[in-house]
Amino acid sequence: MSDEGKLIVPSDLAKLEEVDGFAENWMNGMPFTKDQRDDIAISLSEVVTNAIEHGNAGIVDKMVTVVLLRIEGGIRIEVTDQGGGFNPALVADPTDPENLLSESGRGLLIVHHLMDEVDVEPVSTGTRISLVKRFTASNTG
Amino acid sequence: MKLKSERHGSVVVMGMKGKVMGGPDATVFRDELKNHLDDGIRKVVIDLGRVDWMNSSGLGILIGGLTTVKNAGGEMKLARTTDKIQSLLMITKLVQVFSTYETVEAAIAAFSE
Ligand SMILES: Nc1ncnc2c1ncn2[C@@H]1O[C@H](COP(=O)(O)OP(=O)(O)O)[C@@H](O)[C@H]1O
Ligand SMILES: [Mg+2]
Repeated sequence: MSDEGKLIVPSDLAKLEEVDGFAENWMNGMPFTKDQRDDIAISLSEVVTNAIEHGNAGIVDKMVTVVLLRIEGGIRIEVTDQGGGFNPALVADPTDPENLLSESGRGLLIVHHLMDEVDVEPVSTGTRISLVKRFTASNTG
Repeated sequence: MKLKSERHGSVVVMGMKGKVMGGPDATVFRDELKNHLDDGIRKVVIDLGRVDWMNSSGLGILIGGLTTVKNAGGEMKLARTTDKIQSLLMITKLVQVFSTYETVEAAIAAFSE
């Protein structure tokens, strides 16, 4: 097990399984519970889906870079796309009654619940979403 | 995701298995559901008992299914929602939208005649 994992995939949703398998493998032996591993897998799938669909607008030869890092007491996942970014404050609330039957719009809400930290930042090549999960569950709900 | 359908009288039980995410999984589900509706089925149970996890694309697949079945004049119910899926339904308030049952049998029994 190395400390850093890195995987670069084209913008194709069929790559989600490869990303999932890569991260699962990388986390092997880390002191996460099954539940926490699922939280991470779900959240990673969300941000990679967003990087493909929104950041890279589904243009297959735009790439998504996934970096997995061991940090003090947990892990940090960085997913970078080649898009122009977005303002998280402007994303519609999927739990509003008028949005409840929408087929989309729930990814970031779920990620915020399942991960300990979520950050969105512009980088020179596009947009980076960083997720932190700690080994010990925090009580942020 | 793997998908397997079984007939129980007038009800079809569509069992999802593995990890449910976007892309190919959505197409597989939509196509299979459409086949059942074309066959005249109007009572659908989605068995989630063997799902490892599901993301928001998976929830979107379920919402899409619910809407499609309702528009065809039918009913769709969820059975054996795992703890993880149940918590996602709570976070997203989709608990208000789906009828969920602890067993497939209970879901089947709950259809109005
Ligand atoms: N990497 C990204 N680049 C640009 N926009 C994004 C990105 N991630 C999320 N967004 C924006 O945030 C919105 C909400 O994302 P999400 O909650 O995952 O819902 P969905 O992807 O189903 O629309 C997206 O519709 C999009 O407008
Ligand atoms: Mg999304």
